[in-house]
Amino acid sequence: MIELKGVCKSYGLYEVLKGIDAEVARGEVVVICGPSGSGKSTLIRTVNRLEEIGSGSISCDGNNIHRPMPAKELNRLRSRIGFVFQSFNLFPHLSAIENIAMSPIRVKGVSRDAAYAKATQLLERVGLTEKANAYPGQLSGGQQQRVAIARALAMEPPVMLFDEPTSALDPEMVGEVLSVIKGLAADGMTMMCVTHEMGFARDVADRVWFIDQGQIVESAPPEEFFSRPQTTRAQRFLSELRH
Amino acid sequence: MISDIIAIIRDYWLLLLIGQYPNGPLGGLAATLILSVLAIAFAFPVSIALALARLSKSPFLNWPVTALVYFTRGVPLLMLILWGYFLVPLATGANVPSFLTMLVTLVVYQGAFLSEVVRGGVVALGHGQMEAARALGHSYLGAMRYVILPQALYNVIPSIISVFVSTIKDTTLGYVINVPDLTFAASQINNQLLTQPFQVFFILAAVYYVICWSLTRVAVATEGRITRKRAGTVPLQTAKSLKLAALTDQPS
Repeated sequence: MIELKGVCKSYGLYEVLKGIDAEVARGEVVVICGPSGSGKSTLIRTVNRLEEIGSGSISCDGNNIHRPMPAKELNRLRSRIGFVFQSFNLFPHLSAIENIAMSPIRVKGVSRDAAYAKATQLLERVGLTEKANAYPGQLSGGQQQRVAIARALAMEPPVMLFDEPTSALDPEMVGEVLSVIKGLAADGMTMMCVTHEMGFARDVADRVWFIDQGQIVESAPPEEFFSRPQTTRAQRFLSELRH
Repeated sequence: MISDIIAIIRDYWLLLLIGQYPNGPLGGLAATLILSVLAIAFAFPVSIALALARLSKSPFLNWPVTALVYFTRGVPLLMLILWGYFLVPLATGANVPSFLTMLVTLVVYQGAFLSEVVRGGVVALGHGQMEAARALGHSYLGAMRYVILPQALYNVIPSIISVFVSTIKDTTLGYVINVPDLTFAASQINNQLLTQPFQVFFILAAVYYVICWSLTRVAVATEGRITRKRAGTVPLQTAKSLKLAALTDQPS
């Protein structure tokens, strides 16, 4: 489903990604973890080309994302990759339901009625039916992030990417967001998720990628990664998390 | 003093209102209002186009507009008006009416100023909103139209209003190229009366004040309406009063 081949990227002289080779199968949930500055956010942002790469290739659903292509084609490909930001980035001038329905209407040309019907369903799915007409400023962080997930789902993407979806949340709101993501995993959505929530990784991930200094150092099923990390770097990372 | 002013208004109200019309061109307050409204109506979309061009990475869009903005910022409006008035007919041989010269000059001048206001609003918004829109598949212009500009323009309403108001006041400069506006009418009256410049120009000042003040009020009201809509205050208040009622109602 998602295939990364020799992905390299640098900011000036600083190499952020040093040759990433990896694959995410259809329906697989991959959790990406690693110390801060390891390149995990950069990596996930290259998958929908919010960041350009220096060399290598990334394909998603059979499409080479980083090939030269007309802007229209890139927009179309991006609309098929859901992305959830750490800072939600809801559109503050639109109500929750407008946030969700706007892009299907404007990008895909879905009719207003159909888009709002779908948005209503999605709000129900993330448990925010009663907040349909609330504006982002009136919602808690957890509620905003759930609307942001619904907004991404409205485009009906076969793949969802999450860039630290709970890092900006108060601790008591982490659970509500994670349970929505868990629900998606249970429905068989292909997902990549950068997170520090190791409990969530243990429960939901099919595979954990441990990234350090721009490389995937370990890639293993969670039970294996958490109980028997192979490298000293991963061991140190995990022991620091426990403190 | 006040009786003088009333007398002037009584004798010259028609001249102040519509100039020499129908025996001459439409002038007075009517011309001032038409010129102001047209200048603002054209300058606003022009400013958005200029701002987008300045934000563009393409040097073909970016450079000429940057040059235009620097040029208009550095040259007094009066210079531009006089150049337009004397040089355009010289260069093209066309007989351009002074009203049109004034309108075009105002649109270019205020459009350039306003474009910096708009650009400031867009830049201040940060990357997150654009990224979110692009990630959903919006084109750059689509993201601008549906996500960025509605927020950026709202945030800079106070500065936009300042430019609109100064546009209205700058229409007075049309006087130097004989645009028959309100200022022109007032100075005609002054030339006839000779002895009451303070009274005549007091009327002029009062009328401009009322026009600009009204525009400010409309803007404040518009801003307030958008703010209330985005804060969803109306449904919230209803909800609050219901809650209060629930708290204060005595069990029967």
